[in-house]
Amino acid sequence: MPLPRHIYQALEDIVGPENISDDPAVLDSYRYSLAHTAIHVGPYYDTFTPRGLAVLLPGSTEEVQAIVRLCNKYGIKFKASSTFWSAQGYPSDDNTIQLDMRRMDRILEIDEKNMFAVIEPGVIGATLQAEAMKRGLNTHIPGSGCSCSPLASATSYFGSGPSNLFGGWYYDNLLGVEWVMPTGEIMRTGALGSGCGWFCGEGPGPSLRGIFRGFIGAKGALGVFTKCALKLFPWPGPEHLPVEGRPPAYRSPLPRELFRAYTLAFPSWKAWADAAYMIWDAGIGYLAHRQFNMFGRDLKFAMIKILTNPNGTLNDLEELLQDPEVQRVTEESMRDFQIVLAGMTPRDLEWQERALDEILARTGGWKVEAMNAPEIHDWVLVYLIRLGHKNLNLVYGGGYDGCFGLFGVPDFGTRRVEEAAAFKKEWEKKGAIVASGGDSMMGPIGGQGGGGTCLWENFTHFDPHDRDSVEGTREFFDACTEFALQKGWGVGMEKWNAAAVGPDGRMPPKEVRDQIHLSAPQPSIYRYQARIRRAFNPNNLGDAYYETLEEEE
Amino acid sequence: MPLEDFAGEADRCSQCSYCKWIPFDHIKSWRFAKNCPSIAYHNFNSYSARGRYAVTRSLLRGQIGYTDTLRRIIFTCLTCGSCDVSCKICRYNLEPLEMVRELKFRAVGDGQGLEAHRVVIESLNREQNTLSQPRARRGDWANGLDVPRLPKDKAEVVFHAGCRSSYDPQLQATARAAVTLLRNAGVNVGIMGERELCCGGRVYSMGYREEFARFAQANVNAWASAGVKMVVTSCADGYHAFKRLYPRLGLPVEVLHTVELLARLIEDGKLKFRSPVPMTVTYHDPCHLGRQGEPYVPWNGVEKKIFNQIIVYEPKRPRYNGAWGVYDPPRQVLRSIPGLELVEMERIQEYSWCCGAGGGVREAYPEFSLWTARERITEAQATGAEALVTACPWCERNFMDANDASGEPMPVYDIVDLVQKATL
Amino acid sequence: MNEKKTQLVEMVGEDAVVENPDLGDFLSLDPLLIPPLRPHFLVRPENVDEVQRIVLWANETRTPLVPVSSGPPHFRGDTFPTAPEAVIVDLSRMNRVLRVDRRNRLVLMEPGVTYGQLQSELQKYGLRVIMPLLPRRNKSVLAALLEREPPMSPRYHWNMLEPLRSLEIVWGNGDKLYSGSGIYRGETDEDWLEGRVPVWGPGPGQLDYYRLLSASQGTLGIATWASVKCEVLPQVRRLFLVPAPRLDDLLDFTYKLLRFRFGDELFIVNNTALAMILARRPEEVPTLRDVLPAWTVVVGITGGEFLPAERVQAQESDIRDIAQEFGLSLMPAVPGCRGGDLLKILLEPSAEPYWKIRYRGGMQEIFFLTPLERTPGFVATMLAAASEHQYPTPDVGIYLQPVHQGVGCHCEFILPFDPRNRAEVARARELFRDASVRLFHQKAYFSRPYGIWAPMVYNADAQATLALRKVKDIFDPNHVMNPGKLCF
Repeated sequence: MPLPRHIYQALEDIVGPENISDDPAVLDSYRYSLAHTAIHVGPYYDTFTPRGLAVLLPGSTEEVQAIVRLCNKYGIKFKASSTFWSAQGYPSDDNTIQLDMRRMDRILEIDEKNMFAVIEPGVIGATLQAEAMKRGLNTHIPGSGCSCSPLASATSYFGSGPSNLFGGWYYDNLLGVEWVMPTGEIMRTGALGSGCGWFCGEGPGPSLRGIFRGFIGAKGALGVFTKCALKLFPWPGPEHLPVEGRPPAYRSPLPRELFRAYTLAFPSWKAWADAAYMIWDAGIGYLAHRQFNMFGRDLKFAMIKILTNPNGTLNDLEELLQDPEVQRVTEESMRDFQIVLAGMTPRDLEWQERALDEILARTGGWKVEAMNAPEIHDWVLVYLIRLGHKNLNLVYGGGYDGCFGLFGVPDFGTRRVEEAAAFKKEWEKKGAIVASGGDSMMGPIGGQGGGGTCLWENFTHFDPHDRDSVEGTREFFDACTEFALQKGWGVGMEKWNAAAVGPDGRMPPKEVRDQIHLSAPQPSIYRYQARIRRAFNPNNLGDAYYETLEEEE
Repeated sequence: MPLEDFAGEADRCSQCSYCKWIPFDHIKSWRFAKNCPSIAYHNFNSYSARGRYAVTRSLLRGQIGYTDTLRRIIFTCLTCGSCDVSCKICRYNLEPLEMVRELKFRAVGDGQGLEAHRVVIESLNREQNTLSQPRARRGDWANGLDVPRLPKDKAEVVFHAGCRSSYDPQLQATARAAVTLLRNAGVNVGIMGERELCCGGRVYSMGYREEFARFAQANVNAWASAGVKMVVTSCADGYHAFKRLYPRLGLPVEVLHTVELLARLIEDGKLKFRSPVPMTVTYHDPCHLGRQGEPYVPWNGVEKKIFNQIIVYEPKRPRYNGAWGVYDPPRQVLRSIPGLELVEMERIQEYSWCCGAGGGVREAYPEFSLWTARERITEAQATGAEALVTACPWCERNFMDANDASGEPMPVYDIVDLVQKATL
Repeated sequence: MNEKKTQLVEMVGEDAVVENPDLGDFLSLDPLLIPPLRPHFLVRPENVDEVQRIVLWANETRTPLVPVSSGPPHFRGDTFPTAPEAVIVDLSRMNRVLRVDRRNRLVLMEPGVTYGQLQSELQKYGLRVIMPLLPRRNKSVLAALLEREPPMSPRYHWNMLEPLRSLEIVWGNGDKLYSGSGIYRGETDEDWLEGRVPVWGPGPGQLDYYRLLSASQGTLGIATWASVKCEVLPQVRRLFLVPAPRLDDLLDFTYKLLRFRFGDELFIVNNTALAMILARRPEEVPTLRDVLPAWTVVVGITGGEFLPAERVQAQESDIRDIAQEFGLSLMPAVPGCRGGDLLKILLEPSAEPYWKIRYRGGMQEIFFLTPLERTPGFVATMLAAASEHQYPTPDVGIYLQPVHQGVGCHCEFILPFDPRNRAEVARARELFRDASVRLFHQKAYFSRPYGIWAPMVYNADAQATLALRKVKDIFDPNHVMNPGKLCF
């Protein structure tokens, strides 16, 4: 049922006629395919999120507030998104208007001394980083890359990425927030609410950002965040990232006395874990991530050769894999991760380098020499620092999602990685997913500032255009869930949003959601979330991405 | 490839929005980070490549019909190809530029072409140019020039002026200068004069495939009759048509852009500079000379899968990702001009921002077209340069019109203008 | 025995219940700032089950509860009842260090574990926990962390709750919940081997329980167990001092160290505060104060397990260069203070009597958060107010502690006075009140609103007040937890 004309008119009066549309072509470009990187749900072939009633492009907090108040008046749901990558930002039922936050894209302030930036939702990691670098600062960028919105990641989702280790993840870095609450009031958290500025997001007293951002954020289902401040961290490099080369083999020849990128490999998973712990103990490292393994253990080095060659294509894979040198390096880097060392001064870097060598000596690990070739080294630097190649998650054919996760301290993951890999490798034989070698696990070395945890997202690549591939992938994910539950690993990443969206692209029925929540280790957390929702979103204008378990009163 | 052939790509589009930004590695500021004028101006997702994939899918499924909005979504694409470059930083099996071209062909085929473009087609059919100008006057720009007029005279190299240079009074002098420079450097170049035909490139990018094909064939026939072996042009649009589009029709053409030839002549010592040109300039890479100016590689193949679900092609398909566009020759020419200092904008080479003239946008959406040009002028001014120089008359015309329309004007030159100054 | 006592005894045992407790030294606070209400009982539970039973009982009987974990003296009023017939829930008996794991650098502890107890235990494992500046020896580690006491080492302060991680919480409604990854109790060796450990702080889910509990002054629930992240015990330690006559002279230097994350312990003190730290006897304070530099940045440099000497040398050289850049000097000693001596003091909790009251016997603190660069303005306001109230400005101790890796700064004024001298008490009280208001209006951020700061702060932030009350209604619907604090 279309949006009644008088409501459309009222919304148009708020944002202006050029910033609202209910044209079907526009609406359809705001539907997300669940045969795709829907993120932690499905995949489901030929399934799309429902059309919104209209799409709006608000330009200011005042406009957002007016829209939200109107929605409360008429009982219409709203869903705001910044960059629309994954199903999370889209409506999950019919009665929803889509807010595209793209126009609210200002970097309002970069406080160089106190090291924070104030941004709007449409700012992406890349532009924030570029502006921060001019001032000797850097921003953490989420694992999904610099095309994504730091505000969205910090307030509404997760925010883990390669620079967690030194930069802190977004959870650590979130300061003051301006929040248009689900009922239309505006809350400013922390020091901001007291008129004292953006620098502190806690208090007064209890930290009220705890309402909307726990381990994970509300995923667009609890109002709209219109500004936030994010802590930055130091950038000892030049004002602009120096980049050369022909696409896609861009390279950043950053000064070696301040920047080095290594791929470290280990003789055993225990040694790998030991090294992670030691790196955190030593306090070294600017970025640390097991990044390129996302291409698959068997394919990753060949892929790197392709990506660092302007004439390379995926067609080269088969031939490259015949090359004995490629085979050797592939084998060598089985248990690997990448680390970037950045020194605030040359002395600082030298010490870090020596500490790293000491760690390698103690663990029997080594630097993979092939990854030190200049064209690869400098490509790794620009890749990990700017994190602007994350579309490579989908390089093979356009579909990927991650299974398992093995989230926890390094010992947790390393003790299970081969099992998770073997399980996937068996399933690869069935043909629905890319045969990448079973272990396609990617994740940070250090899930938060200072380290402590790892994540092992096992990348599963499939073809969203191929029904058999999509359905075979889902069967595989169902099997992963079952396997992990049997093993006591908990439900994996493949199902993290199963309570938010169902096979029809819409919010699943209550029974399904309840069953998922009741089988969690602490179902009460969903009951408390239900109470929070009732208190802060009494008209229930969000969707099931904010997960609730309604108890019988 | 009919639009149906893009159904797979529509499903396989990453939905990443990389098509809305220059390659992230190259972003140097918040201000000059965007790459796609149509979404930068309109903001709705549908105005990006990923949006147009979604629209393609909906159209193919019959979920949407043609509305003014849909037509706007389709025809405001400048076909500048910047989305294609950004997409291909990571993707090897998507062709967003081809998709949007096909979308336009489909819309035109469905009778949904724009009135503004129909005017151009009529002009083309009637007068063999896109500017509604009399055919008979096409060669007037060269009046008084001592240059062979083909096919009456003979020359192995023909200078193709193009519709814009032929008829635009402010740009005709540049065409004259180009021919003069080449002849003075010993190049035996002639012109077709009033017999010159439109290259067809502009109407191709508006969605008129058949008209384009007719003109391509006519041009090739005319050159064959005249004994032409090589075409030189100062128009990036024409350059791209001859180099990349004609061979797809099985009509290979040996073509150079004027700047490529000038670069060679300077290196060979056949073009010497006498006077300094003390100016700081910044160079705008025309889309069709830069990222779309890569060599043509014939390909006729099929899609296949390896490792179960990795999509590749048999045989290997050319990438056309902007890596091998014509970026160096114009810069070499500029740097060799004594006294001239070249400073670069933030968005250059394969990630250059479009001038706003292409794809039929100038003809159909003048406000958007000039906004796009204005954006580029602002970027040029931010370098501190005194003038903006480029290598395409359509870019130049759009920049000059944007100068007149709003904001602080910036002098616009063609490379040839500056080379000519330096030879005086 | 009255009914309540019977019920309490039934829950915790007779020896754990004190009726009409005499809290003499419990509260060293000006009674006119916070009206004292005598608690009816004090109970000392031994485990979480007892705590839970007490809370459920409090809900049934509508009895106010005031949780406390640290020993006396208390200064801020949050652990003193502001409602009649309250029961103090003293968690000091729950004082076990349950587990220390070197590999994951985690310690699992109960709320009664104090700094005095913890650091010596951790040392055995080659670990330490980053500490606030000279906490009381009987200060509860968990309470300090929950109340967001700033640590001395900003480089490890990844967010404002670090190094606190998972919790076991009994909410005001009697529910028990594990926040973060507290569901992993870490009770067996196999758990640790397998990596099922409570390393995580946030969540679980989309609500941040430990963040809601932080700085709540016991008004939402009681934390009965915690995991805390430790740092490696340094093998090499140096402490340096960077003096200057004016605070402004030190700010850019400090900012640069913060930006580069150089230094371990890093804070700024004025001569009075430093004298109070160093003095063993009250009479030493004025003498020391007169010889010490007006302002000093205290810079600790540590080397851990890997090439510690080289690490310290590299940092020392770099920091020396940075100091020079700003016309300052990195010194091992200044008149009145040797770095080595100060280091020994800083590595331990405060000796007795507590350093802030050692000088005059009593004190009042004013503290808030601010960007570091604004501290000179606040210092000027504080000193002007002191002057106007005829409070001796040389007695004002000033401690500036960068937090959250330099994004903010805890700015603290210590106002010593003689608690036996009525005039001094009155003067200190008035100064405290007046200065607090002035600083507040100057945009000092009172993120931990104790006592009179609470109405000041909440009256100015209506949305926070409304939101907090909604949160309160969820976690403590019967309002039994420490009524009268914050905005409740």
